[in-house]
Amino acid sequence: VIRPTNFEITSVRQGRECILSITGELDMNTVASLAEQVGDAVESGSTAVTLDLRGLTFMDSSGLRMLIEVNDQSRREGWQLALTPPTEEAAAMVLQVTGADMELPFKPSGQS
Amino acid sequence: MGTTLTELILDRAHNAVVSMDERGVVTYWNPSAERAFGIGRDQAIGREVADLIIPDELRETHRSGLARFLSDGTGPVLNRRIELTAIKGDGSEFPVEMTITALPDDERWTFHAFVQDVSERVASEREQRRLVDELQRALHGSQRRFDAIVGSLTDPVTVRDRSDRIVYANRAALEHLGFESTDELAGTPPADIMADYIVHSEDGAAVAMDSIPSVRLLRGEQPESLLIRTVHRRTGVLRWNLLKSAPVLDQTGAVEATITIIEDVTERQRAERLSAFLAQAGDVLASSLDYAQTLRNVAQLAVPDIADWCAVGLVDADGDHIQVAVAHVDPDRLRLAEQLREYEPEHPDPERGLGLVFATGQRVLYPDVTDEVLAAAAVDDRHLELLRAVGFRSVAIVPMRIGARILGAMTLVSAESGRVLDEFDCDLAEQVASRAAVAIENARLYSERSMIAHTLQQSLLPDELPEISGYELAAMYLPAIAHSEVGGDFYDAWEVGGEWMLIVGDVTGKGVQAAALTSLVRHTIRAASEYERSPAALLSIADRILKKQRATSICTALCMRIESTRAVLAVGGHPLPVQISEAGATPVGDHGPLLGGFASPRWTNHSLELAPGTALVAYTDGITDAVGADGERYGTTRLLDTLTHLRNRSAAGLIDGLTSALKDFQTGPPADDTAALVLRRARATHTGASDSENMATRVREATTR
Repeated sequence: VIRPTNFEITSVRQGRECILSITGELDMNTVASLAEQVGDAVESGSTAVTLDLRGLTFMDSSGLRMLIEVNDQSRREGWQLALTPPTEEAAAMVLQVTGADMELPFKPSGQS
Repeated sequence: MGTTLTELILDRAHNAVVSMDERGVVTYWNPSAERAFGIGRDQAIGREVADLIIPDELRETHRSGLARFLSDGTGPVLNRRIELTAIKGDGSEFPVEMTITALPDDERWTFHAFVQDVSERVASEREQRRLVDELQRALHGSQRRFDAIVGSLTDPVTVRDRSDRIVYANRAALEHLGFESTDELAGTPPADIMADYIVHSEDGAAVAMDSIPSVRLLRGEQPESLLIRTVHRRTGVLRWNLLKSAPVLDQTGAVEATITIIEDVTERQRAERLSAFLAQAGDVLASSLDYAQTLRNVAQLAVPDIADWCAVGLVDADGDHIQVAVAHVDPDRLRLAEQLREYEPEHPDPERGLGLVFATGQRVLYPDVTDEVLAAAAVDDRHLELLRAVGFRSVAIVPMRIGARILGAMTLVSAESGRVLDEFDCDLAEQVASRAAVAIENARLYSERSMIAHTLQQSLLPDELPEISGYELAAMYLPAIAHSEVGGDFYDAWEVGGEWMLIVGDVTGKGVQAAALTSLVRHTIRAASEYERSPAALLSIADRILKKQRATSICTALCMRIESTRAVLAVGGHPLPVQISEAGATPVGDHGPLLGGFASPRWTNHSLELAPGTALVAYTDGITDAVGADGERYGTTRLLDTLTHLRNRSAAGLIDGLTSALKDFQTGPPADDTAALVLRRARATHTGASDSENMATRVREATTR
């Protein structure tokens, strides 16, 4: 059952840096577009990718899995990944519960 | 007029509004007045009303009335609806209805007239009066003259006299009622004419002679027009008629006769009912993936509006008929269908009826089912008796098909309603049948796919939950419908050296890969538990195994050991289990990282004592992530509330309650796998463990699909 979500990724590039701002719900219906955007950014030469999750309202295990996969990918391919933590509790909670908040390269909040 | 707000409103009023001052001079003139009188605002304001719109003969009355009101305050025409004639800008006269109100404005009076052009209404009233006059004259005069007026009308017209007899019917009415001549009709008692028909009102209630408008008029009542559904007993023809009656008065003003126009609205009614039926059928067909239920609902929808009986059956690859649903409004009558079913051949005769429809894919219609037909079809006397008891009038059978493939058939039977089914009914039934066919096909495809997934999934779950002495154990598993693929939720419970191990987990991902990972995690922990009892250490072992996988392999899991009355648990990225006691429901344990995702994770054990009656609920995020009607998630707070309400239930009762709460909340089928495992310490030591096991198994069977 696919619900309409206001999921959106906006991409801003500055030289070799790319910031992907994600808003809405990152779940099994939307993870594919995140993977695609990250792939596009890296292929077009970005060496530092920031996933700005401040606008994230919900994340399920598929979303979390995607973040972990992107992290693995960055190590394997040798580019830099940073994440800005979500402000919405529902999304922040998933990261805390799973320990991802300690393990993934999150920037201290307030920085993007 | 002063206030602009009032003017703003009046400027948009549908009524013509004219205001005048004490001198009788126009001070306000709205756009509707411009239209009604054909005089622009600029030409009107400042002119005397009497000169502008009042006909010559009324001018003096108007002026003196105004003068009288200003001198002694009496205004017989004020504040009530009056009808009079007005003149337009071009000098033509027309009838108006108006209300005049006087309002004090700065110690002076202002008069506001709200005027409505009633030319059309007056004209139609005049026309009606003329017709009635003519009729009255005709009734006393020659039949020929009267016939000249209404004889050629295509709508049936009848005249009923004070004795309720129909004394006149035009050609259309004679045809409509099935009589050769007016004399023949006039010679037939009114009740007999009525008895030729089965008459119902719009809402399905039987209509008696006394409720017909023409008869009510003769009783001195003032009835509205009446919509009736008639079925002619002999021909079985269904018609929808709108009966409109008017009185014919004699010289003393008493009702001498009534004239009725019978408007045939059959086509319109059928079209309306058709679209309503199709809309409902669309909803019904879309509502369920259980096609047997769907077909039962469709059959139910067809009665009694479309037919008295509706049966839906499917045909299998060998051409055998499988009846799925029969509907009739009266449950007693349904027993007849049950009995008749014994006589139904498994393989219907391809030369006729159902078999013919299955063989050709074409509809068959038997408008008149005679007793000979029944006798020919009957196998024995009892069969014939049952067939006669149904009271077949008409039968229509239409195929349910997709392209050339025939899935089954829908049978409509008309019996006690007495109406004859026609091609229109077949068209309607065929439309519904073809939609039903698509629904069946979808449901079948889905169930095949889900069967494969289900089988695989079952192999990932324990065959049955074990018996734990002093505890009740129950579980539920709802696979994600949307993907109809194997999901990644799992649970297991097993015994190791007199203690019990329980796990609940969620491998992210879908399909065969997820199934493989599920199996890996479950069996790794199971095998490791032979030498390692610490839940935290078991999670760590599973974590190391997952990290050896080539693709990113992550999993959340909750691992718990039960030793007598104590539970020791560790949580890896999984929702915390919920403890339910008299005090309510609270999450217990410590969050730890998920398995397979991170470089150097650590887990800790949490230990708690389980008092008698205390339950622990382990679940997967399919529950908290479930989406409700307004897009809201089920969430932890709602879950804790639900579990608090269910706190006095057994393990099986908790699973039942949670499952139905979730189903009520969720708008569609589960989008993600959903699993829960409930362990409850028995209240009394004598609780039969085998009971709890049976219960647990039953619940699992009921909730898995």
